[in-house]
Amino acid sequence: MKYSPTLIDHFRNPRNAGIMRDPDGVGEGEYKDCMDLVRFHLRVREGLVVEARFQAYGCGPTIAAASAATEVATGRRVAELLDLPAARVEAAVGGLPEARRHAAEVAVLGLRAAARDALDRVETRSERHV
Amino acid sequence: MNRAIYLDHNASTPVHPEVVAAMLPYFGERFGNPSSVHAFGREAREGLETAREQIAHFLRVGKEEIVFTSGGTESDNMAIKGVAMARGRGHLITSKIEHHAVLRAVQNLETQGFDATYLDVDSFGMVDPDALRRAVRPDTILISIMHANSEIGTVQNARALGAIAREHNIPFHMDAVQTFGKVPIDLDAFNIDMLSFSGHKIYGPKGVAGLYIRKGTKMVSVQHGGEHERRRRAGTENVPGIVGFAKAVEIRGRDMVEEGQHLTALRNRLWEGLSRRVPEVRLNGHPTERVPGTCNVCFRHVESESIVLGLDLKGIGVSAGSACTSGNVEPSYVLVAMGVPVDWAMGAVRHSLGRSTTAEDIDYVIESTEPLVAKLRAAMPARRSA
Repeated sequence: MKYSPTLIDHFRNPRNAGIMRDPDGVGEGEYKDCMDLVRFHLRVREGLVVEARFQAYGCGPTIAAASAATEVATGRRVAELLDLPAARVEAAVGGLPEARRHAAEVAVLGLRAAARDALDRVETRSERHV
Repeated sequence: MNRAIYLDHNASTPVHPEVVAAMLPYFGERFGNPSSVHAFGREAREGLETAREQIAHFLRVGKEEIVFTSGGTESDNMAIKGVAMARGRGHLITSKIEHHAVLRAVQNLETQGFDATYLDVDSFGMVDPDALRRAVRPDTILISIMHANSEIGTVQNARALGAIAREHNIPFHMDAVQTFGKVPIDLDAFNIDMLSFSGHKIYGPKGVAGLYIRKGTKMVSVQHGGEHERRRRAGTENVPGIVGFAKAVEIRGRDMVEEGQHLTALRNRLWEGLSRRVPEVRLNGHPTERVPGTCNVCFRHVESESIVLGLDLKGIGVSAGSACTSGNVEPSYVLVAMGVPVDWAMGAVRHSLGRSTTAEDIDYVIESTEPLVAKLRAAMPARRSA
């Protein structure tokens, strides 16, 4: 299996690995066929993701994709993440072999879930203030 | 630091330089077809038959009992289907941890009306001879049980299994691809009627293997064409490969015992180092009845392939117990049959050592594995246990 130098770099030196204290959004992506699981924690300020951290169980590309996804997410509007295409994460690791495409998909599923959670929390807070 | 440590010898081995030297003339001046009657053909025939004699000598059998094939898979198919087709119907017994060449050959026969029993194994990967005895039926036509499994290396009690086969007068096939040339095989003492063995696991070339067929074993040819190999396997023989195979076997006869002791010490050093330095690790396979160079371990809560990639980046070649292909991953069926829990089985890594492996290599593997597993676990979600 041939992987891009960018993917290898993310696997070797994962960015933003670990958990976050008091996150504004948490979400998981799961790929059952492969038993992969990726979890994201987001810190959101004024609708913008200012920090993202990940935890991942899976093969090397899944860990690399989760790492790259934290960089893709940071600086974006939370709402944007809801329809972030997997191709964006795939591009961020320099491409994926056909048999490993699910790595980007599972990362994006996790990011979307975390973004949805962050937006839900904002809505809940707004309702409480009404 | 550019290190290259190959610990995947159960998958394939580098061809021994003496083997390459033995093969070379058969790509050049001795290129003839061994079935041709002229001098060119006779020269190739001589190389082929000398190779057959050398391998027969190693196994202490008659040269007419050796058939050359293209690989272990072909040998297994030839043995199983050859006996089954000769009988037309009946019941076969095998185990749940056989190589796919055996499992799928038997499954294929089931679709054609044959019956099959797949024996369980214990937590070490051992087939219980009593279970084999209980599985025998009046219509059992073949018992096919491997000598050692490629993933875990557990060596079966071939003597006890063969005795049961002989007691019931049932042909006994043993897939010895992982043990041939590595541990002693006594065909008579084990009552083996057919034995599959391969070249590229013992520093010979790929694409060449053999099947020992005890004289008197009733079977038919499953590949039709010319009258090669005493009409048992049609197709021009791979003469350079077979000559190389015989050379590899000759070298095994010379080096097997000493190398076995060396590899056993190294594989024990590897396990001791890993179990001392990495938390939540377990050894798969029998603690002592195991192919010398095989050390299969599970790292709990880590995914095999990420370890394989991480070690690859350190110049170490090992094999994953579970492989993610086309977006689907299953824990090893061998480990599942042994009752290894899924959260362990998903983190299985096989190290298979070979003649070039050194103690320094093993220490480097241990030193590289410890921080890698720690790093992977640090990035892991709290839950992933099923």
